[in-house]
Amino acid sequence: MNEKAVEHQETRETIIPVRKYPYYIEKPPKENRVGRFLEAFAAVLKYSDYKPLLDSYCTSNTKCNRCAVACPVFLATGDPRDIPCYRTNLILDIYKRYFTIGGAIKARLTNGFELTEEIIDDMLDGFYRCTACRRCTRECPLGVDHGLITRLARYVLSLIGIVPKALQVSVREQLEGTTHNTSKVPKEALINTLEFLSEELEDLLGVKMTFPVDRPGREYVFFCAVSDYLLEPETLMGNAAVLYAAGDWDKWTVGTHNYDGINYGLFYSDWHLENIIKQLVAEVTRLKGEKILIGECGHASRSAHDFVPVFAGKEAYPVTNFMEYTLKCIQEGRIKLDRDIVTKRVTYHDPCNIARSGWIVQQPREILKAFVNDFVEMKPSGQDNYCCGGGGGLVSIDEIHEFRMSVAGKIKAEQLRQTGAEICIAPCANCKKQLKELVEYYKIPCTVMGLHDLILKAIHIPGGKSPQERKEEAALMEM
Amino acid sequence: MELWIDFARGPLFALTFLIMLLGLARLIIIQIYSIVARKGRRLINAPWKKIFREALSWVIPVRHLIPGTKIFSIVSFSCHIGLILVPLFLANHIVLWEDLFDINLPQLSSSVADYLTLFTIVCLFILFGFRVFSIRLRSMSRKSDYVILIVVLLPFITGYMAVHPKMNPFSWNVVMLLHLLSAALLFILIPFTKLAHIVLFFFDRISAIHWQLRPGAGDQVAESLYGKEAKV
Repeated sequence: MNEKAVEHQETRETIIPVRKYPYYIEKPPKENRVGRFLEAFAAVLKYSDYKPLLDSYCTSNTKCNRCAVACPVFLATGDPRDIPCYRTNLILDIYKRYFTIGGAIKARLTNGFELTEEIIDDMLDGFYRCTACRRCTRECPLGVDHGLITRLARYVLSLIGIVPKALQVSVREQLEGTTHNTSKVPKEALINTLEFLSEELEDLLGVKMTFPVDRPGREYVFFCAVSDYLLEPETLMGNAAVLYAAGDWDKWTVGTHNYDGINYGLFYSDWHLENIIKQLVAEVTRLKGEKILIGECGHASRSAHDFVPVFAGKEAYPVTNFMEYTLKCIQEGRIKLDRDIVTKRVTYHDPCNIARSGWIVQQPREILKAFVNDFVEMKPSGQDNYCCGGGGGLVSIDEIHEFRMSVAGKIKAEQLRQTGAEICIAPCANCKKQLKELVEYYKIPCTVMGLHDLILKAIHIPGGKSPQERKEEAALMEM
Repeated sequence: MELWIDFARGPLFALTFLIMLLGLARLIIIQIYSIVARKGRRLINAPWKKIFREALSWVIPVRHLIPGTKIFSIVSFSCHIGLILVPLFLANHIVLWEDLFDINLPQLSSSVADYLTLFTIVCLFILFGFRVFSIRLRSMSRKSDYVILIVVLLPFITGYMAVHPKMNPFSWNVVMLLHLLSAALLFILIPFTKLAHIVLFFFDRISAIHWQLRPGAGDQVAESLYGKEAKV
């Protein structure tokens, strides 16, 4: 560890309490972590396709350090160990030394690099300080994908049992549990929640909508982050309102065998990523659906959009994000939004998982511009946005709350404050949770919500109460 | 001495240049072969347009000037102009290309080449300065990062001195021999060090292809480590 790093060690330890592991682990491996790590890495290299990329990266990586200033974590700490390239080199060094001929010869001839327990400690800490937002990749002149490398390192670590308990427990329930979802919501609770939401919607909008459950042959099978059923009912009600107003109420369904879009495999494991995707696809096949409709969730959307075509073979159903669907409805004139309802200043946070690749950047902005008069952008925004600080699964790890607030989310909080917005739209379950905690932590007078929460306020429902009536009712309720 | 120079300009140059070409070709062939073998048909689905567009955005990387790294980026980018143009198009080098490969390249006027060489030398010194004085860069740099910069710098300095006898305190022969030897060293190092990014830059960029993971690999990895009953 160099001098600067030692200097930073103290700051680091005040942020994250001194523990052997910075996050809870179910069964921390006790001995021979080095040997087991190498064994797991060898297995991954044997069966997966990472070799050519690692070969290319470890030969050509120039360590120019441009990525440092793109990384919100490094900008907050200034610790060299938080430079994306530093982290990436941890794993590249291991690869070069143990899995290339050049590295093996060099090790024989010189007293070179050797994997130690300390490096394992460095990795399990470092790779979970990265939010895998891939902002650095856009600024790397060579295009080194530090997000992919972080994921690979986490994958190998997870194979020797080093994985945050919060993520592992959720994945276990999703793949091996009885409820098949990360929040352990039983089928009966889902049906009760949908009935409750239906009543709420009737009170609010003045029309009766019964949620379609397990209806076969529908065009869309809907998946959202399952936590939305418990924590973000307004987003779901907004989704439902759009489907109803657009006249597509009999074109969608929720399945009861699998209703969770969350896929933590995207953050740390190829193994789980694939099996969760297969589970999702199996549900669509069971219901004879045609398309997968994903609610407001960044990583659920990306994992389905990017990995259903990779893993599902012939069952690769097209994947639509709900915002794409809503925009299409607006463009076709199937739904109308009232311009006079939202008077507050609104800003939009781009979830990294859907914005970094440029997939969903303009769609939500076009939707917002259709009914919001005072819309303001964060700087920078779109593909170059800053991560909320909870990406890569970090938001689910409660024990690193202080790190997420004072380090990873620091720049985001500042950006948010500078917009002066009273409403921040974050169409992602993870970003929403993190941003809600951030505004509380930094005392920013701003309400964080999903895009469809806002749409719910302004949408015209055929045969129902007008948005204006609803606004007046809400005002009365508040009084 | 002249015999040495002739040797360095003739067989040594040809040999080291060949090593460089073969070394780089090896890297390209291994990359293409392993990607095609491992990814196969999945390559068709890759977002090629986007990959090429992103790669092209770095030809004139104005969009990538972000605060905190502006000077470094400008210097490092401009340095590449001289690094590519001078070795290829300098009048004295063109003769070499003609002798060796029988190709006729357009030539840089000597004053442009002069300024470009000086400019590149200055840029390389600044980059070296960054490696030494910037904490961020220093904390990540290894010995090889400094050595490579010097190896790249040497042919430029000795070349400039050879062309300008007035600025050269040594004999022309010595400087020319050093120029040729340092170039030979550079050629040998290119395919085996980070300088290989002159061809690998493209293969670094195709992570979108590598995100298309291999179906079934996850189960195989888990089974090989923990058996068929592997649990989450």
